Amino acid sequence: MKLYDSFRSALQSLVVNKLRSALTMLGVIIGVASVIAMVAVGNGASQQVQNTILSLGSNLITVSPANLSDQGLRGAGAQSQNLTLDDMRAIQTQLGSSIAASEAEQGAGRWQVTAAGQNWNTNVNGVTEDYPIVRDWPLQSGDFFSGSDVTVNAQVAVIGSTTATSLFGEADAVGQTLQLRQVFGGGGQGQGQQRARIVNFKVVGVLEPKGSTFGFGRDDQILVPVTTAQRVLTGRLNVVNTIVVKATSSDAMTDTTADVTNVLLQRHNISDPAVADFTVTNQNDTLAALGAVTGTFTLLLGAIGGISLLVGGIGIMNIMLVSVNERTREIGIRKAVGARRQDIMVQFLIESMALTGIGGILGILLGWSITLVVALIPQASGLVLVITTGTVIIAVGVSVAIGVVFGLYPAMRAARLHPIQALRYE
Amino acid sequence: MTVVDRAAAPYRYGAPTAATRPVVRLRGITKTYRIGKEIEVHALAGVDLDIHAGEFVAIMGPSGSGKSTLMNVLGCLDVPDAGTYELAGENVGKMSDDQLAAIRNKHIGFVFQTFNLLSRLNAVENVELPLVYGGDRHDRRARALAALGQVGLADRVKHRPSELSGGQQQRVAIARALLNDPSMILADEPTGNLDSHSSAEILAILQRLNELGKTVVMVTHEPDVAAHCRRIVRMRDGIVSHDDPVLEPLRAQDEIVSGIGGAE
Repeated sequence: MKLYDSFRSALQSLVVNKLRSALTMLGVIIGVASVIAMVAVGNGASQQVQNTILSLGSNLITVSPANLSDQGLRGAGAQSQNLTLDDMRAIQTQLGSSIAASEAEQGAGRWQVTAAGQNWNTNVNGVTEDYPIVRDWPLQSGDFFSGSDVTVNAQVAVIGSTTATSLFGEADAVGQTLQLRQVFGGGGQGQGQQRARIVNFKVVGVLEPKGSTFGFGRDDQILVPVTTAQRVLTGRLNVVNTIVVKATSSDAMTDTTADVTNVLLQRHNISDPAVADFTVTNQNDTLAALGAVTGTFTLLLGAIGGISLLVGGIGIMNIMLVSVNERTREIGIRKAVGARRQDIMVQFLIESMALTGIGGILGILLGWSITLVVALIPQASGLVLVITTGTVIIAVGVSVAIGVVFGLYPAMRAARLHPIQALRYE
Repeated sequence: MTVVDRAAAPYRYGAPTAATRPVVRLRGITKTYRIGKEIEVHALAGVDLDIHAGEFVAIMGPSGSGKSTLMNVLGCLDVPDAGTYELAGENVGKMSDDQLAAIRNKHIGFVFQTFNLLSRLNAVENVELPLVYGGDRHDRRARALAALGQVGLADRVKHRPSELSGGQQQRVAIARALLNDPSMILADEPTGNLDSHSSAEILAILQRLNELGKTVVMVTHEPDVAAHCRRIVRMRDGIVSHDDPVLEPLRAQDEIVSGIGGAE
């Protein structure tokens, strides 16, 4: 029997039983659609997580103090205060052009801010002059403070866009003065005298808006030179919380991580890297770890879709068994006029494959429409829904394979029927 | 192995033929069915039978005589337990299922009591079916149309079986049986489901095909129908009990003309 005839005959019988074919296909359609849509959402989510990480700046190597421990005892929250601005400068001079840029940060906590008659409360952070380069964060207006501002503890500030509008409204913030205040004493109930510390800063620049990372708004902050933070705001002289190094490329990150570690080990006089008093985190590792998490997430979603595909496949098997039973006489007639076992088998296999194949294609279309609908949901805005050709090929391949697997048993039953019994079947 | 060749029997029934070997040669065919574990039914208990090209044979017998089993063996739908069966010179006794399928396709044209047409296909598609499983595709449609013309259904080629009368359906089945130019047309009670007029038409077609040289074997339990053949083989208890020529077969065409069973 020619393949052409098999196809014709299979399609004919699908057309004859339109409703049944459509209902059977529905299982596969829903299965494939859910695989496609779920994997698209999963891929979109991992893309978004990755973008979020990279929005903190790309190719970053972060050095932070190691947790203090003494013979297995570790103090809660206590970190050694052993990273200094000089460490960062040393990295800058020793690694030179093999790194793109580096900066050091010291958090100065939350402060009450007043300017132009407005009150605001926000986070103040001491950073160094290369912050915009390291963080891939250009300025909206004005300039970032310079290295010499850092050297002379200048009382200048660069503020986030939210902070700027909160304090200055639509007016240009650059050139304005803001006051950081801290209130001491009091003891409550109006007893004793309250004393306020007031420090003036001149706004030299406003950062571009950048959105939030994991729910933390990053456009509401005030950046001041790290030395000013140390001497004027916190009093923790020379100490920094973090040193951030930007590698020249993603490929260079492993090498740069090693270089940074070596410089710091040398400066801290530590020969065994295992007892280093700092930890170096490679952003690629973070991405890989998060990639593994989102990958698992995507796999889970895909598996849920896969289960519905499996259920659809069982539906195919069920309906093919019914079909074989119903058409026993037809099988007998075909065998009487000379159909061999394989002719009968191929006929029924093609029938089930046509069911799942067409179902698969419709399922892709449905899955694609679902992603379009999901994209309209406000909470999912920014979620890039990715349907890759790989997903499509796998979905169609799997559904045709399901046609073969679940069609095989019914087809074999049909092929094995004895012609006399099949002809006598009522 | 020395078997007395009974093919050299003096009688030649039906149209004369040049063939020296019979189309069908059965020797010592036995077939036993088991019902449950204990009961054995000897459906065929040693059948010897020769059918020569161009014969028109009726196989008769009461229920349980083994004629249906003989029909299944003749049609290569079933294999005998013992004995030899040569069909057109090929020993088909020990063939596999797929080999038998090829033999059925090439050598046997079936006509069933219940017509056994595929309801999804129209007349010409039903007739084409044997060529779907053997032969070329390119002249398939033309040959099917020619066969339908031979049975007088040239104006019904696109009709589905449900749109045809019983007699017409049986004619489609005959056209299908003719398509591969088989060695033998095997008709199982072909008139069993038909009124007498349609029966006469079917018998007339089979007689005409026989006159054109086709070998026709027909299983029937109606003496009236068997009287149209040229030879009657009677079965009883799994063996051939009588094997007689019909000296003056009835002519179905005459019955149609004389109006028995009413006009169409």
